[in-house]
Amino acid sequence: MAEVRLDGLIKYYDDVLAVDDVNLTIKDGDFVALLGPSGCGKTTTLNLIAGLIDLSDGEIWIGDRDVTDLDPKDRDIAMVFQNYALYPTKTVYNNLAFPLQMRKTPKNAIDERVRKTAEMLSITHLLDRLPRELSGGQQQRVALGRALVRNPRAFLMDEPLSNLDAKLRVQMRAELKRFHQTLNATMIYVTHDQLEAMTMADNIAVMSDGRVQQYGPPEEIFYDPANLFVAGFIGSPAMNFLHGEISTENGVTSVKGDPGWVYPLTPANAQKASHCTSGRIIIGARPANLILSREEHPGMIPGSVYTVEPTGDTTFVHITIGDQIYVAITDPFFRAEPDDPIWVDLEDDRIHIFDEATEEVLREDGLNSQSIHGKKTLQPA
Amino acid sequence: MAVSAPQQATGQVATRNRREPKNVFQRAYRQWADYTYIMPALLAMFFVIAYPIAYTIYLSFYSTPTAGENVWNGLTNYTSIITAERFWMITQNTMYWTIVSTILAFIIGTAAALVAQREFIGRGLVRGIFLIPWVISHVATAYIWVWIFHSDYGLVSGMLMDLGIISSPLVILDSTTWAMPALILVNVWKDFPFIMIMMLAGLQTVPEHLLRAAKIDGASTWAQFRHVTLPHLKGVIIITLLLTIVMNLNHFTLPWIMTGGGPASSTHIWITEVYALAFRSLRFGIASAFSVILFIIMMSMAYFYVKAMTAGDDRRR
Repeated sequence: MAEVRLDGLIKYYDDVLAVDDVNLTIKDGDFVALLGPSGCGKTTTLNLIAGLIDLSDGEIWIGDRDVTDLDPKDRDIAMVFQNYALYPTKTVYNNLAFPLQMRKTPKNAIDERVRKTAEMLSITHLLDRLPRELSGGQQQRVALGRALVRNPRAFLMDEPLSNLDAKLRVQMRAELKRFHQTLNATMIYVTHDQLEAMTMADNIAVMSDGRVQQYGPPEEIFYDPANLFVAGFIGSPAMNFLHGEISTENGVTSVKGDPGWVYPLTPANAQKASHCTSGRIIIGARPANLILSREEHPGMIPGSVYTVEPTGDTTFVHITIGDQIYVAITDPFFRAEPDDPIWVDLEDDRIHIFDEATEEVLREDGLNSQSIHGKKTLQPA
Repeated sequence: MAVSAPQQATGQVATRNRREPKNVFQRAYRQWADYTYIMPALLAMFFVIAYPIAYTIYLSFYSTPTAGENVWNGLTNYTSIITAERFWMITQNTMYWTIVSTILAFIIGTAAALVAQREFIGRGLVRGIFLIPWVISHVATAYIWVWIFHSDYGLVSGMLMDLGIISSPLVILDSTTWAMPALILVNVWKDFPFIMIMMLAGLQTVPEHLLRAAKIDGASTWAQFRHVTLPHLKGVIIITLLLTIVMNLNHFTLPWIMTGGGPASSTHIWITEVYALAFRSLRFGIASAFSVILFIIMMSMAYFYVKAMTAGDDRRR
């Protein structure tokens, strides 16, 4: 296993910039998820690492080797594809043996490796079957086996679970994580599913518009998002964003919301807001950090109930404030009628303050350690 | 919605309760409209296909003197064809013509498909040029090549003489040795675009992700072709080969116009022989028996063709 280092990766498709200056260091034995919406450049980045497409600029290092100009076969990586990509005319055994055969491994060594891998994945009884005789979950295992059968320097996975049904996906997720822990393998895992990324990865690189927006452990991505995109993309239901203008009266800093509400900031939040250059900020608050009240209290934001969704162990309350709808998660027994008046308070030490102009998070010290405009190679924090 | 839903439900129940008639004629009667629609096509097929086939089989058991009544002579027509040395000579010609034409056209057509598949500037133009032989009519092709091969004023002889490579005109279509190779050359020239199109269509369906997987697994370009592309094209290759073989076995226009079977029957193949027997010698009985033999051979090819076609339907191997 080896460290994978991406240095200023740039990929143009004709005039379209698909990957824009991606700098990442994936530590030896790390499980890193490239997470982002469709078209964010995550799969392109993975294919660049694999060598399946050519770079426009930048360098790729695997271990101590510069592999930028090497063919995929010479990079010593293994890849699992979304649609499994099993060779349809070869039996499971020969699918597993293929990467070893191509590397001129002796026959008895191939047999030993194939059987050991099959045993590890509990597919020994399928070795003589053809891929079309397997279920989706079994095909997925074979695809995984074809990657595990060698000892590559890194595993690349392109949404390997997205074609499985929900139940199988949960099961395979746990198994994949287990494999990673026992093999101590370097894994780069592309997904658009934040749950997969959060549950499996040691570090997540959140991507959008071809750029890495933030790189760090899952809890940091969730609790300390670097910018508005990461804050909005991670978490379900999504974070609420309240736009407003900063005003200071009698030494108290408040936010004056666009619909007219005024929310006073704590000193710590006021300190963060003081770094705002445009005078306008966005308060980010996760649904669980909204506190609802049926009575008016000073410093609360007035709104009205839009609808109430009981989900079992919690209840989602949709609230209209001005012309926006926000979501709060409350106790399971909260009930209200549409258009009931309601007042919203925020958990002040849990909210995030963003500069409306730059969409970057504002911190107390005024520094954003993970500014996306930085040139340095991002290391997980 | 709420009103129409119960009606739908009763409708379904009613359909399910309609009993299937057991008698095949009752079932056919229920589908009388379907049969009415295909009736014109069936009638046309009967008059232009079924009737001639039946009449040919009938004639094949008769001696057909030019004057007078047809005389029943049992299997005599068949035995006289099969025991004649000429039949085996012509069969040899047919095999030579079919096998060499098919193999050459297949190799050249596949190579052309591999070239036309690659991305390069002017690909569209190259594809277009490759298709030209295919769109020219057989008759025109035949006359063009007769002229090209002509020993006195042909292009081949003329050019070679101008270049000083040969001193006297080449005899091609009038040579028992060279007439058949010349015909095969023209046939390959005419047919390779068909194979190119078939193979190109096949190549374009080779799944990109399999090629990628093979690259990652360490396969060289040749290994990718051998382990991914070729197995994927197996069905297309079998069907293309069968179609080309049948096409060549039945090929009439080129040999008939270019050499008429000559010189000394060296380019006669089954189909030209049948035509000559029937319409030159007016020996319809013998020609019919010959046709029936060919019919059996072709139908067995058709069996393999249909088998290959349906095999590709449910099992992609």
